Amino acid sequence: MNIVITPAMIGQVIISGILSGVLYSMVALGLALIFGVMRIINVAHGPLLMLGAYTTFFLYSAFGLNPYLTVPISMAVLFVAGVVLERTLVFRVVDAPELSSLLLTFGISIALVNGAQLAFTSDLRAVEYITGSWVLGPFAFSKSRVIAFVFAGFLTGGAFLFLRSTRLGKAIRATSQSREVAMVCGIDVGKIHRLTFGLASALAAAGGALISVIVAIQPEMGQIWTFKSFLVIVLGGAGNYPGALLGGMLLGLIEQLASLFLTTQLSEVVAYVLLVLVLLVRPTGLLGGRQT
Amino acid sequence: MRPAVLAALVLVLVALACYPAVGTGYGLRSVLQAFMWIALAGSWNLISGLTGYVSFGHVAFFGAGAYTAGILIASAGWSWPIATLAAGAAAGVLALAIGGPCLRLKGPYFAIAMLGLNEVLRALVSYFEGLTGGGNGLSMPTLDATVPIYYAMGVTALAVTFGARLIIGSRFGLRLMTIREDEVAAEAMGIPTFRHKLVAFLLSAIGPGIAGALTARDQGYIEPLSVFPLATTITMIVMTLFGGKGTVWGPVLGAVVLFVAQEMVWARYPYIHPLLFGAIIVAVVLAMPRGILGLLQLKYRLPRTV
Repeated sequence: MNIVITPAMIGQVIISGILSGVLYSMVALGLALIFGVMRIINVAHGPLLMLGAYTTFFLYSAFGLNPYLTVPISMAVLFVAGVVLERTLVFRVVDAPELSSLLLTFGISIALVNGAQLAFTSDLRAVEYITGSWVLGPFAFSKSRVIAFVFAGFLTGGAFLFLRSTRLGKAIRATSQSREVAMVCGIDVGKIHRLTFGLASALAAAGGALISVIVAIQPEMGQIWTFKSFLVIVLGGAGNYPGALLGGMLLGLIEQLASLFLTTQLSEVVAYVLLVLVLLVRPTGLLGGRQT
Repeated sequence: MRPAVLAALVLVLVALACYPAVGTGYGLRSVLQAFMWIALAGSWNLISGLTGYVSFGHVAFFGAGAYTAGILIASAGWSWPIATLAAGAAAGVLALAIGGPCLRLKGPYFAIAMLGLNEVLRALVSYFEGLTGGGNGLSMPTLDATVPIYYAMGVTALAVTFGARLIIGSRFGLRLMTIREDEVAAEAMGIPTFRHKLVAFLLSAIGPGIAGALTARDQGYIEPLSVFPLATTITMIVMTLFGGKGTVWGPVLGAVVLFVAQEMVWARYPYIHPLLFGAIIVAVVLAMPRGILGLLQLKYRLPRTV
């Protein structure tokens, strides 16, 4: 490829990177919460995001609801789904070796994806609500991505505010620091686990709802989001919640830069090499070992 | 081993060796696949069952072996037995190269790094189209070699199982299991843990590499999506767990039982097959994490090398 790279292109890449980065941060925050509180990598996180996207799609196509108004509905539906999953299956592997939790959530993930294929078929579906871009000087801002950015920013901010200032949020952080001490302080750890799983699923659902307006959705869209979210929390430091924010931005930028300088196929390789390097050099993430 | 058990084993082996003379094409292909699953599950067991390092992307070695053999056969014109050996060696080299950094990672990080490795190999194979045919796949010259491949796969399965028997009965195997129980304590006892893990990882990669090469030759056509599926990794893990991880015969038992079950479900309910597969995974993890042989070991005081 002999494409001349201009400063305007770099600027555009940075804009696109930040716009998608916040979305990554929000979805990955869910995975980070589950990992921090329950020490489980939830492989079904991406498929839960897919269910959120389908919830929005059906509310839009069947009832003609404004897709952005369905975001809270998707979140509520998936919150309940997350709590039910935790209550019935996931709580059984909280203290088990990581193989058990990885496989269990993988089993859930296969069941969700296949169930969605049976129920919704594998056809690509799109929520064609808003298209086009706002142009500002040399830069283009895709409308749906900007709106997703704003939503994700508010929701992520809200989640941080919740974790920081409310009693429940503090209980979640306490449980992720030390489950035993949290129990001694009278925190119902089982309830916190359910709440965390529900909250994480709701964040994934918000991601899915917003994505459904940007690109076409299909039952297998979720798996890549599990991997990306994991990459984000490794970049930021597992169990380090502000780190997820930074990691999401970084991943967004790296992906866009990689697609500018390399082909899209190789950007996955770049992401992987980065993952292994960060794990080896700074296993506690770029922000260091501080928890919560 | 008791004489009765030994006799039964020899009988089964003789029966399997004579099977191509009487079996149908479908039957032969099915037994061939059962051999493949035994080799894959047994190999996964060597690294993950013994050391506790969960390789969540073991199919990467299968795919690497398939592509090594595929390229050597299609482009360099090698005969398939030699290409198969080369594929085993290539998978071993890949294991050494990847194990170097990745075996220093702990717990879920190793698991996800291996998962990523598989995705990366698939991306690389798609990218280097000149060599691999990219997404169009790679075709090999037609050749009817099902019977020789049947024997080669059978020998591979046998070698993996016999190798596991030797390792589990040896001091090397004991050291690997020490790493599984407590790596820091193993290190403190003077076990060079990293080197042991690396050797176990190397051994666990060769079987899948050979199985991949044989499968590629048997099918005559490979493409990135068909040789790097995550589902294959999960299947070998679930088979090993079902039979009993860390045992010699667990992977064999799990592979045979689940493969037969899968074939019967496949034939009848193709649509809900993955859904059932997901349910089986959940059931195995929740109901029998030690596997059949693990439960029997607890109950009847079987020898460690069962």
